[in-house]
Amino acid sequence: MSEQNVETTKKPLLSVQNLSVNYGAIRALKGADLDVYAGEIVAVIGANGAGKSTLMNAIMGDVPRAGGQILLDGNPLPAKSFQVVTSGVSLSPEGRKVFAPLSVYENLEMGAFPLKDRSAVEEQMGKVFTLFPRLKERTAQYAGTLSGGEQQMLAIGRALMAKPRVLLLDEPSLGLAPIIINEIFKELTEVNKKLGMTILIVEQNARKALLLSHRAYVLQTGSITMEGQSKDLLHNPEIEEAYLGGKKK
Amino acid sequence: MDTIVQQLINGLSLGSVYALIAVGYSLVYSILLFSNFAHGGFLVIGGYICYFVLRSMEMSIWVAAFAALFGAGVSAVLVEKLAYRPIRERTPITLYMLIASMGMSIVIENIFVVTIGGRFRALPPVFPSGLVDFMGVATINQSDLLSLATAIVFLVALQLFLSKTKWGLAIRAASYNLRVAGLMGVNVNRLISIVFFVAGLLAAVGGIFLSVKYTLYPQLGAMITTKAFVAAVIGGLGSLPGAVIGSLILGLAEMLAAGFISSQFRDLIVFALLIITLIVRPTGLFGKSVGEKV
Repeated sequence: MSEQNVETTKKPLLSVQNLSVNYGAIRALKGADLDVYAGEIVAVIGANGAGKSTLMNAIMGDVPRAGGQILLDGNPLPAKSFQVVTSGVSLSPEGRKVFAPLSVYENLEMGAFPLKDRSAVEEQMGKVFTLFPRLKERTAQYAGTLSGGEQQMLAIGRALMAKPRVLLLDEPSLGLAPIIINEIFKELTEVNKKLGMTILIVEQNARKALLLSHRAYVLQTGSITMEGQSKDLLHNPEIEEAYLGGKKK
Repeated sequence: MDTIVQQLINGLSLGSVYALIAVGYSLVYSILLFSNFAHGGFLVIGGYICYFVLRSMEMSIWVAAFAALFGAGVSAVLVEKLAYRPIRERTPITLYMLIASMGMSIVIENIFVVTIGGRFRALPPVFPSGLVDFMGVATINQSDLLSLATAIVFLVALQLFLSKTKWGLAIRAASYNLRVAGLMGVNVNRLISIVFFVAGLLAAVGGIFLSVKYTLYPQLGAMITTKAFVAAVIGGLGSLPGAVIGSLILGLAEMLAAGFISSQFRDLIVFALLIITLIVRPTGLFGKSVGEKV
């Protein structure tokens, strides 16, 4: 990954501060802090049940926040999902969740729901088709009949349709073959470079996520336990042991 | 032969009125995944508004029908806000909404019983009631033809709304996954209000024609809700084409039973169809089948 010189004096685009989420008596997030700067790809890695999806859903306003705050460009992010999307944060959810009985075209139109202007929708769709040409070949097809990899491209494309300032990705590698994962992650690099899109990604596949991202956080049972440049974390013995399957010769 | 043609036409006409009610009921089911047993209440509200605007204000049927459709739509939105929204904001378990809807059905029925009484009322003769000769084999009541034509107009309009507009697309997406529709920037509460308004409005259209056919009384809603429920189950709960087909099957079955066996067998046939569907094909004719790949 190319060297990204983020000035630490600059204000973060997305700032999660002391965020807590409870499910009944269970504390899923215990005061998590993280910052995402404009143009960056930031990864959050962690095991199953560490709170990664909870973090995403709390930012999206899909689960109620028990404490802390989330700022977008210095302003508090609203609490309801639809207002979060309108403010400029959109999510490609875990398990893709494309609208199976709708066509690929209609799925993308749904992603553009907050856009008022028809020409803006067309323009954004053009960008998505440039990034994911395979979707363009299948506009009339039902999303439920796409392959898993194509559904993941559609889920990412759909999230991009809202013209977000920050794109959230929840486990884009879930259930996909390694060759497809490579393809998806290559496309994510393109999304970041060509559109200048700021990306926050949570992933179980720590190696892929660290190779993709500029910076990363480690989430462990609801708390951030480590953060740093992704290339440093990739060679951190502790991370190698816990998330990358031990040291490789 | 004559009887068959006659009863087929009567059955289609009755089925198309059921369809107006079953479609709204199915639409609500597809979004919130519960059977709204207060749905029949909306058609009673529509029927009474139409009755009073015609009787007391002596307005034209156009004004009365507009008031009935609008009033029933608004009532449906209010019922949702009062009874269902507080529940769905607290729990994802839809059984509670089902129970609340049974309660609301009783509440609506009894509001009419205590305020204006439970007696049967006939709508003034605003619809043409002459007979039309159908190719020499059957005679059809003009009001039946009118209800058939009106039902088709409203069902086509609903289809256009769902397939051509932005909110229609959002409703179709939400019927697959409401939560994810919210993640696309759709104001879910507004979407649900729109769905209830449409459902109430369509129920009122059916309510006006049923009031003409059967006279109007507070318990009319409960009877018709059951029919709409059966029609929706036959067609596949949550499927709109299914609700229309199920309603037509139901209307035809009722009228053929009435014509060839006895009128008293109508309801028996209705419930026999329900039981057969549940045994042979529990998902109904158009039950959801397109799965999501994980």
